Amino acid sequence: MSLERTEEFDRGDWLEDKELSRVERGYLLTLMWLDKRLRLVDYLELLEDAYYKTNLQMPKSHTEQYNLDNKFWYWYPLYSLGSLSIIAYVLLAISGALLGFYYSPSATSAAGADATIAYNQIVFIQTDLNFGFMLRSIHRWAAQFMVAAVFLHMIRVYFTGAYKEPRELNWILGVVLILLTLLFGYSGYVLPWNQLAFWAAQIGLEMALSVPLIGEWAAQLLFGGFSPGAPTLMRMYILHVFVLPFVVTSLIAIHVGIVWMQGIAEPH
Amino acid sequence: MNENTNTNDDRTAAETAEEAELRTDGGEASETSRSSSELRTDGGEPSDERGPSSELRTDGGAITPADDDSPSFRERKERTDGLSRLTYEYFERSRREDQVLRDDSDYVERDVLGFPAWPHEMIRNLSITSFFVGVILFVSATMPPPLEAPANPTSTPAVILPDWYLYWSFGILKTQALNLELAVLGGQTIATDRTFAVLLHGPIIVMLFLVPFLNKGSARRPVEQPFWSAVGVFGVILSFTLSLLAIKNLMAARIPIWTSHMQLWLSFVLPFIGATIAYAVLKSMREGYMYDLNRRYYRLRPPR
Repeated sequence: MSLERTEEFDRGDWLEDKELSRVERGYLLTLMWLDKRLRLVDYLELLEDAYYKTNLQMPKSHTEQYNLDNKFWYWYPLYSLGSLSIIAYVLLAISGALLGFYYSPSATSAAGADATIAYNQIVFIQTDLNFGFMLRSIHRWAAQFMVAAVFLHMIRVYFTGAYKEPRELNWILGVVLILLTLLFGYSGYVLPWNQLAFWAAQIGLEMALSVPLIGEWAAQLLFGGFSPGAPTLMRMYILHVFVLPFVVTSLIAIHVGIVWMQGIAEPH
Repeated sequence: MNENTNTNDDRTAAETAEEAELRTDGGEASETSRSSSELRTDGGEPSDERGPSSELRTDGGAITPADDDSPSFRERKERTDGLSRLTYEYFERSRREDQVLRDDSDYVERDVLGFPAWPHEMIRNLSITSFFVGVILFVSATMPPPLEAPANPTSTPAVILPDWYLYWSFGILKTQALNLELAVLGGQTIATDRTFAVLLHGPIIVMLFLVPFLNKGSARRPVEQPFWSAVGVFGVILSFTLSLLAIKNLMAARIPIWTSHMQLWLSFVLPFIGATIAYAVLKSMREGYMYDLNRRYYRLRPPR
């Protein structure tokens, strides 16, 4: 018995049999040395797994099997509506972040002015800020395009029966997303605090108050009172730039993730 | 079905035998060892090199403990009770069933893997993306939003409207005439006009949620399901007519003979007309479609 540690497995013979070149031998020894310390084999297995998953030979899709490629390309615009709404969403996030640098959700008037600070900031963005007019225009139009794309997307999904059996949950998620998109649009509509925004807030408030039982509570929660004012603007702002972006972004991620898992419902 | 169960049972027996064999020599989880038994052993070594009875070391030199009575992954799983046990058994079973299906399937494998992501897919997606972004930029450059008057709580403007995508909701708010005075309630309405209109949003949204649970089956094309397509046409037209209801003042001002009563009536009749037409058209298309389908089917597989 010696103090020298013996190797658990003698790899010498095995290495001799291999008749490796100098480079190969050096590589293998390094690999063995690292493996003993870092358990590289485990990670290699993960890699191998990933490799086989990505290079999996998929069975022929419906379009391929029945040679529907021509039809698929003909209808393709309808099938890209979902991604178009995501593109518009990304555009909205970028332009919205830039607008957020200059906007201030304050419904109080500056000293000596009759318009509120929020409205004055919109005026500033549109008239004084370099590129500001275009920035607000992009944000507004991208919102219109996103809502339109989402509506058309839903219609496409309905008429191609893409909500059926394995995809019911994603349809429900989609309905939730379309409602949240509308809420997004509404809360953004209020932010400039101009005449239309104020009276839109008034109507929303009255709608909330009309709901039996929880009406007053909902009005307090969403609009911060029983008539539109500074708290309403602040709540709509927080909803628009803090709550909804997180919720909608994560729901979109889940929505797309489920599409990824289940595959696109093939056009027929 | 019977056949399947039989194969399942056979399979189970075969697998248990296989697992038992594996457990005696390697003592590992059977699922992983089937695919990668060369890579995954407890010593990080091919198991056949260790030889029989593998000279147990008592000095703790090995990285992982040698084969003693420490339970394997599978055994540990099997010892746990209750829901986790149930879950595990279900997954085992469904994996086995998947394998049976895979063995039985006659999938046609691709002869090519498909379009490569680069450059084909990427170029297509980039062109679609840049076209769409370009359209948005163009429109926002040519039609910038106007600068409205600042909020003034003391003066109500003549026209109050939300963005176009909420017109349908605003239109529902203008359906007081539907809130009938019911004889049952002694000439009273169920709720005030406002509450009624707000609550009317509920059924519409609930219908959207229920769609996949009401319409089941494998029909996908509109021709295959005329009724549900007609329902869809009804919904689309209704969303338009409700949106028009939101601007009924403006329409009445523009069109001489227009009355708001006529519009309310039309906004619920037009969807029915549209749905009926869609149903009739799809139903008549269906015959030709089924004929085509049958012809193709019998050409492929002539009846015995």
